[in-house]
Amino acid sequence: MEILNLYLTHLMKAAPALLRGALITIEITAMSVFFGTLIGLVVGLGRLSPSKLLSRLAAVYVDVIRGTPLLVQVFIIYFGIPALLTQLSEPGHTVRIAPFMAAIIACSINSGAYVAEIFRAGIQSVEKGQMEAARSLGMTRGQAMRYIILPQAFRRVVPPLGNEFIALMKDTSILSAIGVEELVRKGQLYVSVTYQPFPIYVGIALVYLVLTVTISRWVAYTERRLGVK
Amino acid sequence: MISVQGLHKYFGSLKVLNGIDCEIKAQEVVVVIGPSGSGKSTFLRCLNQLEEATAGRVVVDGVEITDPQCDINKVRQRVGMVFQRFNLFPHMNVLKNIALAPVKVKGLPQEEAEQIARELLAKVGLLDNAEALPDELSGGQQQRVAIARALAMQPKIMLFDEPTSALDPEMVGEVLAVMKSLAREGMTMVVVTHEMGFAREVADRVIFMDEGLIVEEGAPEAIFKNPQHPRTQAFLSKIL
Repeated sequence: MEILNLYLTHLMKAAPALLRGALITIEITAMSVFFGTLIGLVVGLGRLSPSKLLSRLAAVYVDVIRGTPLLVQVFIIYFGIPALLTQLSEPGHTVRIAPFMAAIIACSINSGAYVAEIFRAGIQSVEKGQMEAARSLGMTRGQAMRYIILPQAFRRVVPPLGNEFIALMKDTSILSAIGVEELVRKGQLYVSVTYQPFPIYVGIALVYLVLTVTISRWVAYTERRLGVK
Repeated sequence: MISVQGLHKYFGSLKVLNGIDCEIKAQEVVVVIGPSGSGKSTFLRCLNQLEEATAGRVVVDGVEITDPQCDINKVRQRVGMVFQRFNLFPHMNVLKNIALAPVKVKGLPQEEAEQIARELLAKVGLLDNAEALPDELSGGQQQRVAIARALAMQPKIMLFDEPTSALDPEMVGEVLAVMKSLAREGMTMVVVTHEMGFAREVADRVIFMDEGLIVEEGAPEAIFKNPQHPRTQAFLSKIL
């Protein structure tokens, strides 16, 4: 019982810092979901474009991003590219990027690749006859996409998009590696002072659980509202 | 109205159309029959370029659609198409299915397009279903909506690709009835179908296709009573 009291005391003490960390986690996730979805839509449509060049470019993007670890992508954007720009610019000038900014850029680019595949699959799952019917009425390819194909595809991609957003939220934990003071980093800082890893990391796990369950509830609600079958 | 010269179509190395020549006059009702795999649906789909011709010329309402410079979207506004599987837009109700293209393609105001849609729904006997979703309708009703949707663009030509093949038998009649009344009003129609009764009663001309070629064509009376070509005879003896 004594140990439980000790753990609870530490958890209560750490709570304000952890909640501030959770807020950063939520901010980064929300921004990355937004930009990642935009990137994913553009890349997914590019992948299906009649233009060979566009569809090749989109395929290369997806292959490169999915084929390399997020941690390495984060390091390239946070350490690699500023160092390259520093070396290219005049002596004495140093290029830096804020960890928070690097985090959002890396997570958006990363998520964009997965979302692109989700959109591509969603669009391709709409029966070919839908595009044909729309085109036979005189719509352009763009009009058919906008009014007929995408509205149907969006409904079908809600469940896999939900999965992707949950995965993205959990993946933001690696941003602790570049010092972004998100949930895990806040915990590490606390643990390094108090040497109480058990209550803190269990507490962090519970906070992630609450966040991801909230997302999945929200996804389920959206599914019902859109009448996803 | 439609002029086809030397139309060839390959899918990869598979030869589907092997040199089709055909003239279709305004207000003519042409029924295309033939065994499956004979290329009749592909031929129809070349008439609004849902399939691109590999070689040959297709001229529709004065525009050569096989010319890469032509604005195919403009031509398609004047050529309605009805599909075997209806292809209604499942995410919008019946009225919106019909009004969408007039609004987005022709730029009609929403109220005017919906007024046209209601008139067409009345014509195909489905005015009461204007607010229904396609899923809530029977196959026959869906196909009648699909016809109304095509008519909403006020086309000069209507293409029908096996419009009754996906229907339960008891629903075939209601769709054919709509097509008959359309034919009586003078619509130019090209119909791929297995409904020989419809061909006999409504067609001005029947075209028999086999292996990517027009084997024989003529008035329905002549084709059905007195087919000249052995392949036509063999086909008709199997289905009549």
